[in-house]
Amino acid sequence: MTVMSRAWGRLTLPGKVIFTAIPLLLALGVALALVVGILGGPIVELASQYGAVLRFLVAATIILVITIPTAFLIIFMEMKIIAFMNLRVGPDRVGPWGTLLSVVHGLKVLMKEDFTPSRADPLIFTLAPVVVYGSSVMTLVVLPFAPGLFAQDFNIGLLYFFAMGGLAVVGLLMAGWSSFNKYSLLGGLRSAAQMVSYEIPLTLSVAGLLLLAGTMSVNQLVANQSGWFTNWYVFQQPLGFLIFFIAVTAEANRTPFDLTEADSEIVAGFATEYSGMRFGFFFFAEYVNVFIVSAMTVALFFGGWNAPFPFPALAILLDPGSLGIWLLLGIAIVPLVGTLVLSLPFLLTRSAMPAWQAIVLGFVLFNVAVVGLLGVWAFVSFDWVAGLLWFLAKTYVFVFTFVWMRATLPRVRIDQLMGFAWKWLMPAALLNLFVTAGAILVVGR
Amino acid sequence: MTTHASMDDPRVTLDEQLGSFEPIPPYPPRTEREHEFYTVADGEMLVNIGPHHPSTHGVLRVVMKLDGERVVDIDPVLGYLHRGVEKLCENADFHHTISYMDPLEYVSSLFCEWPAVMAYEKLLDIKVPRRAEYIRVLTGELNRISSHLLAMGFHALDLGGITPILYSFIERDEMVEMLASITGQRMLFNYFRIGGVNGDLNHEFMSRLGDWMGRATAQVEANQGLLNENEVFVRRNRGVGTIDSQTALKMCWTGPNLRATGVPFDIRRAHPYSVYPELDFDIPTRSEGDSLARYLLRIDEIKQSLRIIDQCLHQMPDGPVMAQVPRLMRPRPGRAFATVEGPRGQYSIYAVSDGTDQPFRFRIHDPSFLHLQSFTLLMPGQLLADWMTINASLDPIMGGIDK
Amino acid sequence: MNLIPGIGLVRGMSLTLRRFFQPKVTIRYPEVPSDVAVKFRGRLQLLYDENGSLKCETCFQCAQACPIECIDMGGMDTKGRFHVHWGAAETYGERREESALRRSGRPVPDPAYERFTPIDIAAVDSILEDFDHDPAQLLGILEATQAAFDYLPVGALMRISERTGTGYAQIYGTASFYDHLRLGALGAPASAPSAAPYLAALAAATGAGRQADA
Repeated sequence: MTVMSRAWGRLTLPGKVIFTAIPLLLALGVALALVVGILGGPIVELASQYGAVLRFLVAATIILVITIPTAFLIIFMEMKIIAFMNLRVGPDRVGPWGTLLSVVHGLKVLMKEDFTPSRADPLIFTLAPVVVYGSSVMTLVVLPFAPGLFAQDFNIGLLYFFAMGGLAVVGLLMAGWSSFNKYSLLGGLRSAAQMVSYEIPLTLSVAGLLLLAGTMSVNQLVANQSGWFTNWYVFQQPLGFLIFFIAVTAEANRTPFDLTEADSEIVAGFATEYSGMRFGFFFFAEYVNVFIVSAMTVALFFGGWNAPFPFPALAILLDPGSLGIWLLLGIAIVPLVGTLVLSLPFLLTRSAMPAWQAIVLGFVLFNVAVVGLLGVWAFVSFDWVAGLLWFLAKTYVFVFTFVWMRATLPRVRIDQLMGFAWKWLMPAALLNLFVTAGAILVVGR
Repeated sequence: MTTHASMDDPRVTLDEQLGSFEPIPPYPPRTEREHEFYTVADGEMLVNIGPHHPSTHGVLRVVMKLDGERVVDIDPVLGYLHRGVEKLCENADFHHTISYMDPLEYVSSLFCEWPAVMAYEKLLDIKVPRRAEYIRVLTGELNRISSHLLAMGFHALDLGGITPILYSFIERDEMVEMLASITGQRMLFNYFRIGGVNGDLNHEFMSRLGDWMGRATAQVEANQGLLNENEVFVRRNRGVGTIDSQTALKMCWTGPNLRATGVPFDIRRAHPYSVYPELDFDIPTRSEGDSLARYLLRIDEIKQSLRIIDQCLHQMPDGPVMAQVPRLMRPRPGRAFATVEGPRGQYSIYAVSDGTDQPFRFRIHDPSFLHLQSFTLLMPGQLLADWMTINASLDPIMGGIDK
Repeated sequence: MNLIPGIGLVRGMSLTLRRFFQPKVTIRYPEVPSDVAVKFRGRLQLLYDENGSLKCETCFQCAQACPIECIDMGGMDTKGRFHVHWGAAETYGERREESALRRSGRPVPDPAYERFTPIDIAAVDSILEDFDHDPAQLLGILEATQAAFDYLPVGALMRISERTGTGYAQIYGTASFYDHLRLGALGAPASAPSAAPYLAALAAATGAGRQADA
């Protein structure tokens, strides 16, 4: 008994929660399995009835899961791109070209001691990273990745995006206040002032776009921009795009507006006292935010998943049934022939290479070719594959821009930051709104 | 089995006072100024920056009294890097002291050795060969350029730009390698000797120098294009830490910081030493006296240093690089004062000999100390982030300040 | 400041983008050794002569000249045993303390200046004559010397060493091995000739006594 109570006493608060939750979850799982076994039929019926809810749940889970590789990728991009711009080589030891270094960073963060300073407010201190990370993940819900590939299509999607983005400031303020550190407090207050100031030009900058589009659903906004790239809203709203881009840079706390974690001034801002995975949440949230704001810029101004020009409709007529017996023969022969044909150049030209190596190389090349052909087929045949590729390509161009800015620009001062928002961005956003409204009055939508 | 209290044990609680740091000293105020500073009014707070803060250029600690983000008062706390170099030098013989000089201003070590050997040469009445003097000027100007590049890079780093420092380091690394090929060390050169220098120019140095001189101006200007016209950088520096020439003179400023206020005071011209009278160079000045002027002045100085190096290479005489100097030297009792123009200002040594082989008194004068004491003058009314700008533009090196 | 706002930012961005594609300057160290200057002094290595033997003779001149006392060394004796020439290993701590004292500027007691009391060499010489200067009869010599002087003075031991050709260390070792041989006068503790006053002076100079390691 004493052993149990001592072991219980050694657990930290999250540990106690987890150790209580694990048996409960196990019991729940067993119960669920039983319920599914007994009531399987009616549940399937119910699920088909509430397909939208189920779809949302699955999509939300996928979104939560893909944030981690996204963050890893952007962290690696940041390390490598900034290194290249600094004429350095950057990470090149862990994995091919150092690609695994960000994963190692993640593991390192997991293994560090999770430390709560004395005199900190433990509850708020623990909750703050959750709020920050949660807000950025929830923003992903309205992002349309491809036609049909989105978690939820709100008719107020854009409002939801701004609202969830604004929620992050609560988390940062919580972190800054609860850390019992003056640097953290300054960082938290800076983030509050900065985010509240930049929310206004951010929202106003898209008001003109909304006038043009007449909808707030992000899906609809993207669908409006289909066709040639001249349909993209950036050509109708260049000023709006500029203001939007500057304001989201500030919203995502990126250089030159990264005052909340200005490392040369207030050490690490709100994250000064955080370590371990709690810091990891802030860290990941920052990079997920970079992805989100890039994706939102693409969706609003750069046509989202639309290709820059409409593809000529390529209908690949592939009806395997019509081939008859030749289908079976093809399946048997094509890999052999393909492998041999592709290994022929090596067999003929590289006399130093043993034959088996040439054949293995030919097999690998054949596989690459087949996968490439399949990719092309999928790209042409499925809307969502092409859309996803276009969307990600455009998004990562903007991610590159954010990293590029970080490599180049120094940080602005807090009063210049606020002055810029209120004296320049907001009047410019209002001007943009009025000019757009006037143009619509004169020309029509 | 004995049990040890573990920090993971929740029954082990730390004293609550241990967890929080109050910058207010535990003792009653010792001076009027201390009383004034540590009396915190309503709405103000004391923020401790350093000694391990990323932008304190060493181990400077600064306590700031903040009202929001606005600095009300500032109190620099020194001594975290104190080694007692003066006392060490008084217990080492004259040759040893030169190696103690190097880590004082560790980014411009040659300018710390220079006044020391000059003072000893005065004490011993040694005539330094002209070739040695030219080599001193040549290496010294190279070191000045590398120091200025570092100062400019760190200026940008303190403002949040991470790239300029690396571009600066590429150039500085080239110069450091160059100096390593002639002095034998990359950072703490220990190159000047009493009566000359420790080794003649060699082929490796000259070929590296020739390579670099061909592209130096273009490279430095290209790198500074990142900052000089950058609106963010200019706005953060213009009008920050402004000081007028009279106040600067009263605060005993020297070097680029003084010249940025418009006073063309340069030891190389005001009190010529070595072979500087034979060389043709300008003393760049700027009238604004703010951080931007101090930053831009360093670029102008780099250009002048390149001119000097060019002339040195053209006028380099032939001959020995060391005078005839005894191994064990006992100068006549007397005193000597020597001063040079370092990258940060006037660097001086005052040495007293009592006839033994060790200096009787050895006093090091460092310009950074005098620049640092002007914080109290420059900071009040500025923002917290301006401290980084001002500190970086004044370019103090704590190794020299704390000695 | 430029006429067009933001042009400076654009120029900086274009510079970094150009640098993105330029060759990198990083030296990949373990694969590519950096070219160290010929004159580089930071190399920590011992040089060999043409015959392939070490040039270092463990003379400690460099260690004595080093202002920050970062050099220390050991060497091989003629029997191939590794040992440190500059005093015995147990005196390292003392040497460290001594150098700390020297840096602090306080006077340092120097055991080299600890003089031994002069004795009448003639008595020792006559004893040696009796024993035919034979090192094999060292114990007899020592006993006779103790009979003459009532203890074994340092001067006598040095004289024996000089005349018989035996090393002082061996004579001292023999003398200190046998219980009936006394190195100090009766009443005075038998100990090494100069260690005790030196250690006492050192303790007094450092202010605090050394850690009791004896």
